[in-house]
Amino acid sequence: MKPKVAFFDFASCEGCQLQVVNLEEKILDLVDIVQVVSFREAMKEHSNDYDIAFVEGSIMRPMDEERLIRIRTNAKILVAIGACACSGGVNKLRNKWPLADVIAEVYGDARIEGNPYFDVFPTKAVREVVAVDVYIPGCPIDRNEFAKTVTSLAFGRKPRLPNYPVCVECKKNENICVFELGQFCLGPITRAGCNAICPSNGEGCDGCRGFLEDLRVNAMKDILRKHNVSLDQMMKRFNLYNYKREGY
Amino acid sequence: MASPIDIHVEHLTRVEGHGDIFFNAKEGKVENVQWHVTEAPRFFEAMLRGKSYEHLRAITSRICGICSIGHSLASLKATEAALGVEVSEETVLLRRLALHGENMQSHVLHIGYLVVPDLFGVGSVFPMVATHKDAVVKIVGLHRLANFMSDLICGRTTHPITLQLGGFSRVPTMGELTDLKARLVASKPVTSEIAGVLASVKGNVPDFERETEYIALVDENRYALYDGDIGSSDTGSHPVSYYRSITNEYVVGQSTAKYTKHVRDSYFVGALARFNLNESKLNEFGRETAQVLGMKAPVHNPFMNTYAQMVEVADSVEDSILIIDELIERGVTGDKARVELKPGRGISAVEVPRGILFHDYTIDSIGNCTKANCIIPTNQNHANIQKDMEELAPGLVELPEKEIELTLEMLVRAYDPCISCSTHYARVHFV
Amino acid sequence: MRTMDPDQWKAFIDRLIEEPDFDVTGVTEKGSRFVFAPLGQASELRLDYDITILPPKKELLPPNEDLLTFDISKPFDVLAARHERKKVLVGVHPYDLIAINMMDQVYLGTHVDDNYEARRQNTIIIASDIINIPPKAFCGSLGTHTVETGYDLLVTPLDDRYVVTEGTPAGTALLEKFAETRESSRYDIERVEKLRAELPSRYLRSPHVDKYKWSEILEENYEHPLWEENARKCLTCGTCTLVCPTCVCYDVHDEVELDLERGKRKRTWDGCLLKEFTLVGSGEIFRETPTNRYRHRYYRKGMYLPMRYGFVACVGCGRCATQCLADIADPLEVMNVLASSSMEDKKKLPIPEVKVHGVKQELLIPKAADIIYKEPMTDIDTLYRIRLDSGEALGHRPGQFIELSIFGIGEAPISIASSPGSGPEFDLLVRKIGDVTSKLDTLALGDKIGIRGPFGNGFNIEALKGRNLLYVGGGCGLAPLRSLINYSLEHRSEFKKISILYGCKDPSSLLFRNDLESWGTMEDVDFRMTVNICRSDEGWKGNIGVITTLIPDIDMDPDTTMAIVVGPPVMYKFVIRELKQKGIPDENIIVSLERRMKCGVGKCGHCQINGVYVCLEGPVFNYADIMGLPEAF
Repeated sequence: MKPKVAFFDFASCEGCQLQVVNLEEKILDLVDIVQVVSFREAMKEHSNDYDIAFVEGSIMRPMDEERLIRIRTNAKILVAIGACACSGGVNKLRNKWPLADVIAEVYGDARIEGNPYFDVFPTKAVREVVAVDVYIPGCPIDRNEFAKTVTSLAFGRKPRLPNYPVCVECKKNENICVFELGQFCLGPITRAGCNAICPSNGEGCDGCRGFLEDLRVNAMKDILRKHNVSLDQMMKRFNLYNYKREGY
Repeated sequence: MASPIDIHVEHLTRVEGHGDIFFNAKEGKVENVQWHVTEAPRFFEAMLRGKSYEHLRAITSRICGICSIGHSLASLKATEAALGVEVSEETVLLRRLALHGENMQSHVLHIGYLVVPDLFGVGSVFPMVATHKDAVVKIVGLHRLANFMSDLICGRTTHPITLQLGGFSRVPTMGELTDLKARLVASKPVTSEIAGVLASVKGNVPDFERETEYIALVDENRYALYDGDIGSSDTGSHPVSYYRSITNEYVVGQSTAKYTKHVRDSYFVGALARFNLNESKLNEFGRETAQVLGMKAPVHNPFMNTYAQMVEVADSVEDSILIIDELIERGVTGDKARVELKPGRGISAVEVPRGILFHDYTIDSIGNCTKANCIIPTNQNHANIQKDMEELAPGLVELPEKEIELTLEMLVRAYDPCISCSTHYARVHFV
Repeated sequence: MRTMDPDQWKAFIDRLIEEPDFDVTGVTEKGSRFVFAPLGQASELRLDYDITILPPKKELLPPNEDLLTFDISKPFDVLAARHERKKVLVGVHPYDLIAINMMDQVYLGTHVDDNYEARRQNTIIIASDIINIPPKAFCGSLGTHTVETGYDLLVTPLDDRYVVTEGTPAGTALLEKFAETRESSRYDIERVEKLRAELPSRYLRSPHVDKYKWSEILEENYEHPLWEENARKCLTCGTCTLVCPTCVCYDVHDEVELDLERGKRKRTWDGCLLKEFTLVGSGEIFRETPTNRYRHRYYRKGMYLPMRYGFVACVGCGRCATQCLADIADPLEVMNVLASSSMEDKKKLPIPEVKVHGVKQELLIPKAADIIYKEPMTDIDTLYRIRLDSGEALGHRPGQFIELSIFGIGEAPISIASSPGSGPEFDLLVRKIGDVTSKLDTLALGDKIGIRGPFGNGFNIEALKGRNLLYVGGGCGLAPLRSLINYSLEHRSEFKKISILYGCKDPSSLLFRNDLESWGTMEDVDFRMTVNICRSDEGWKGNIGVITTLIPDIDMDPDTTMAIVVGPPVMYKFVIRELKQKGIPDENIIVSLERRMKCGVGKCGHCQINGVYVCLEGPVFNYADIMGLPEAF
């Protein structure tokens, strides 16, 4: 029996759902092993009867929370896809500033009180509202990792994320370490699974897949200091996708 | 029609982002027709506040998953303008190539996955796999080529990696460029075939016209995407620094996104605007395709935006081949321009698939962004969509409800809106 | 030796590249560094390189490799994925060649790895002498700066000519077919010898002690504060093992295509620095702290591998030292610190003699087998009876294990729970805790699985003959024990007194109830069992208490009693303490340990307890042999 699958998005750039579309011909295989019952971006039909819900984006408003809770109730398995859903991603960058400030600055003197569309609170990741069964991290997700996750789920096997740093994949690709190119990189404390795509293209890792559970942050800070990275620079980079994550 | 008609399309499908359509009519008269943007505001200005100039591109790229190359380039251009960095000709050529990849990818996605189902009377592209397998396979193939191209030049299509201040962090090798050219050349027949498919269902496109102002980049040397002046079908061309006078933003309650207007109540940005202003600069393949689709500027039917996109796909394929020829002849060095920190303000304009995009940054002496302004193309189209609906609605009132709903949906889809990117505001001052 | 002018050499390489029968890979530029990569033309070859980012091991043991392909839409469809394409590898430096020869011993030794063998046999190596030296290398003092054998050809690039030494008939044939050469002059040969002779003095560094002393120094310094000090700075990123030419450990996983039919079993590089290197299905990690992992690498290179194979597994290339961001990976610095160590209390690290048990069989392709009987024993434990499709007996000894394959999911090591005397079928007791075991639970009679093995040493029956046997089984440790218990009961007269002690969590966790009942009724067997806890309504009338509570009452002469103990890791300490209290000598205690296993034949590296492979020297161990091993319990 093919599992029924639905896609949902909240506050996001929809880049993660685009990676699903970017599977190109493999989409035909995908719709063979699962039944897509709702995918607002690509199809008109919608059904509330689904087994697996893929959720992209962060939660910003009470109306978003309500919609997410409904989805959680309908789904047997909830998969958070992308940094915005998994950890809040760049959407959390505004949490640094007092909410009243942010709203005042951005909306100025527009009359928005009482309008539910504007009733925002500090950004939340999906797991801060409902239980998440599976994570597919990254900004955006890697389409192959998505395909592997769906295959595992269809196969009845729990998908597993790598628990080792990006360095492993970077070295296997025989990249010149980005530190040698005068930049710095969060690869040693970031979860692998992206095939080190950014260092492989000459740019240091920003940690978009989230830091490892067991991150060696003190060792990392020592190394960054050795490379003349200031604390301010470190924190700015750490906070891009891992805003206020415990451990540092 | 005696009974009242109340249509509410919630979370319109086959568009990027969340928007609703309302249509209410009583006794043959339209009482209300509204395009209602409900997307959560994303507060991009707050994300940029106080950020180092080094991170602006990475953050603004996340405004949109489809136009991230365009946002990245607009961001880099604005930062480079603020810091006084001039990039090499090679960098410009590669950036133009990147933009073509994005245009092709986004347009093919829109044409094939989002609009064609309507023209064929189905709910999505999935059932068409069985009924029109050949066409679907070709569309997917062209989409894949566009992604391949972006992957090669930018490292990744969504949230590109190699696009950096002053240049590229990785450039393609001669072998890779030669291979890409061969694939592009081989794709030309497929591109023509897809255009043929579109031409064959042109009869299903609603016959509606409303003249409005069309705004796009213009450049005397080429069909402008990467660089140029702001062109208006009403007022001629203006320097990019003039953008605020054109994009006058104002709030409306039904939308978390603002509306814009210039000399009329609204204006149009996107492929149709570009086509109307730049038709004479199309290359041969682009011109051929325009002919096949029966398009001659100026076109005032907003539903034809999709067809203008098809013309651009062909033009992009050809222009990419020409750019690659030039790169192969010059050789590619991968040299980057020097970037030195100094305070300043920079304004940039870039054409992304959905229209003209502006980024405006002010950077202080220690490299932090103190002021940021991003005007998104779809932002600029919301007013036009609303005005189009208002003019279109009376003509629909006699039709069956399903058809009214479909026609209004098709109107919004034709604009290829990128709603989640457009929901934020301009004129922000950070301290 | 033969000599070529530069344009003759270039023509030779170009002709090799043009030859359609093989691919040519050589050292070429990558940015400011060098790598081994496919050559498009001879001008790309850079024999003046100092060192490559990754060693040429990647050509013979790729970072990602297909081991076999399968089709799960069929009952049992599996094919080996041997790589048969020929390759010429140009520019291998002596230290890297020596490392390849070390890798040959691991992969082509007692058990031949088919995939490695295919690549190795199809690769012709053109080694090259060292021209430039990277700052952190120390090959000169390890004797790895030149090499006399192991190459098909060895080229020495001089300023104005290339001198080639022939190593094998294959090398000679290559020259004859593709190159124009002349016999080297006396002068040519002298220049080559001079170049090699001058190398050692050009190295900027050397260790303070000879490499053959490293083993001794490491043996004495297991508790040196250096390990923890450096480990604090360690990112455990795995870089040192990935770039090392002698690191050859790997992991195996299955991948399935989106069509849910075709799939591959893949081998990927793994490293002991990574946290999950020793992770097992139950979630336990056996080398948990960064200190243990950081230290292990040095012991493997400087002590464990030398003990096993006779070579010191460091060739002084300096890659780890150069690429470690934390600057703690340099074997030279570490050995120098340890060598000058004036630690007061230098405890010696006892290392048992490593024995290798030859297993002649096809290594990587599982054999098809049927599930012919399935009986759930508890909520999570199920007994499976398996028969190989071929109808043959497994031919196992009690105490051995097999690797059970379910294509698309993976493999799991499972102890064999039946005695070899029970016919061609064999029993497996499987606890549902991981991917493979959970999937197995959903299979039915007649479903096919794959079996590799038997692996491991099994119990040493000879040492048990004529002795009293005290079996102590905890939880699912009873499964491998049952194999020996039933064997000994089948050969009752060969053993003296037999006592069986069995303990488990609670009455619902009892395993092998039929056997328990049967053992309980045997006159010449003293059978006792206990549960840790029990609810009043469970109707249990036996002992309640942990298994150690059964031991004091046992009455056996300690000197002639062999205690065979198998149970969860946490149990051993306590049971062994009780056994010692009864006066049982260390060498009379036998244990069976579990670790993470992938290959079953001592190649993947996951099951190491210090220098000992659980899959080769174990899983059965004599307690006296391993009691001093820090990583054993």
